[in-house]
Amino acid sequence: MAKLSLMFESKLVKEVPIGNRPVTIGRSPDNDLPVDNLAVSNYHARVYYEGSRLVVEDLDSLNGTFVNDLRVERATLHDGDSIWIGKHHIKVDATADTAIPWDAGRKAAAPKINETMVLDTKARRDMLQQAAAMGERSQFSPGRMKMPTLVVLDGKVSQKEYVLTNKLTVIGKSPMATVRLRGWFKPQVAAQINQRDDGYYLGTGAKIPIVNGSPIPGPVRLNDGDMIEICGVRMNFVIRE
Amino acid sequence: MQIVSGGVTDLGRVRTNNEDSFRIIEPLNLFILSDGMGGEAHGEIASSLAVDTIEKVCSAPKGDSDVTLAGASGENWSEQTRRLQSAVFQANFNIYESSQNHPEQRGMGATLTAGWINGSKLSLAHVGDSRAYLLRTGNLQQLTNDHSLVAEQVRRGIITPQQAEESDMQSVLLRALGAHPEVDVDVDEFDLFPGDLILVCSDGLTRMVTEPEIAGTLQAETDPEKSAQKLVDLANERGGLDNVTVIVVRLQDESKGWFSWLRRDSGKKE
Repeated sequence: MAKLSLMFESKLVKEVPIGNRPVTIGRSPDNDLPVDNLAVSNYHARVYYEGSRLVVEDLDSLNGTFVNDLRVERATLHDGDSIWIGKHHIKVDATADTAIPWDAGRKAAAPKINETMVLDTKARRDMLQQAAAMGERSQFSPGRMKMPTLVVLDGKVSQKEYVLTNKLTVIGKSPMATVRLRGWFKPQVAAQINQRDDGYYLGTGAKIPIVNGSPIPGPVRLNDGDMIEICGVRMNFVIRE
Repeated sequence: MQIVSGGVTDLGRVRTNNEDSFRIIEPLNLFILSDGMGGEAHGEIASSLAVDTIEKVCSAPKGDSDVTLAGASGENWSEQTRRLQSAVFQANFNIYESSQNHPEQRGMGATLTAGWINGSKLSLAHVGDSRAYLLRTGNLQQLTNDHSLVAEQVRRGIITPQQAEESDMQSVLLRALGAHPEVDVDVDEFDLFPGDLILVCSDGLTRMVTEPEIAGTLQAETDPEKSAQKLVDLANERGGLDNVTVIVVRLQDESKGWFSWLRRDSGKKE
């Protein structure tokens, strides 16, 4: 059976198993896991099973419930997750559970290592919706279009601004470069920007770009407002909405 | 530009059958990689069906009536890119149809990543979590997006790339060939520079070996076949939990510089 361990820093405060009844968490002493701290609401959150999924639900608390680093209203819990409430955290131990939530639809077969599976349309829709809902509740808002842009401040290039729409953006003298450098002795490929899952990475080419005053050691993830200097050109990386 | 290529596939250390398929069609500069899934030997059937179909569609002469550009959508892609895309549509349909006609094959599927070079243009078509990379000036850059649940969560900002690497949900794909009669195919075009290197690999490599290690290995060994083998060996050293397939395509840097005759001479002595 899964259990929750209430921790304060590295000290175990209380441990409760999760049965058929929800486990309640809050400042009021009648909670299953009472947390004595003013930052915690009287009835702050609860944890319960929904089918075979273990779920945490925030009960409109003032200061919020966090799973790992993410503020959630409702989230599926996995073994090893931590629920953070104020300065306390609750460790989720679901190792004893037999149910594997995401794989629920799969036939019971001999266990295979890391067997690849494709989500069928319905499961995929549900999971993405859930993911989208979580996204909206966190600081990220996937609804708004983000336009990463290089704004040229100084130097000889073909345009004043470049909206980064491609997987790969080459900065250089080459006719195939997106950001075309002008002038003698400029390299064909001075630097490049690669769009990856978590953002845009600036990497070296024939030159080592300088970001916010320091030369980059290897590919670095660009942040909104970063200042890039390469071959006498100064550019500002901004994310427009 | 002169193109040299090589590829290696390996069972890995844990699996009992190799569900990966790859093919390099040198006269066309076409290279295809597919990682199959499904019980028994069905993953192999799916991946080889994918590779066969892509080769057939791409090598058919222009105007061949058997090769309709099925549903290939416009944007401004070149004819080559559109043909590659339509080849992937066909491959998807063939796998889907085969699994419909053979109940024991139900649930089989495959990833697909294929590149086709024409002059200095690379056309890329991609479904699933195999990957294509470009190594240019020592910089390894990913040209494809994984169609996996964890990658989608990273794109939505729900988890970090580090969390994705540690997730036990890495094997859950959102897109693959053969699951439905129709599939979304990512296509893209890239301009290539002399000296560029393209790496296509199955997740058996990228889950075992880090990107800096991959970049280092590719720079240390210039022979495509040998560098592919080194990457496979590295994946196996790290545990080889999955089948590993690596294709390396290198565009030779034909330097026309003032001192290029010097280099040519030193090449002869080797």
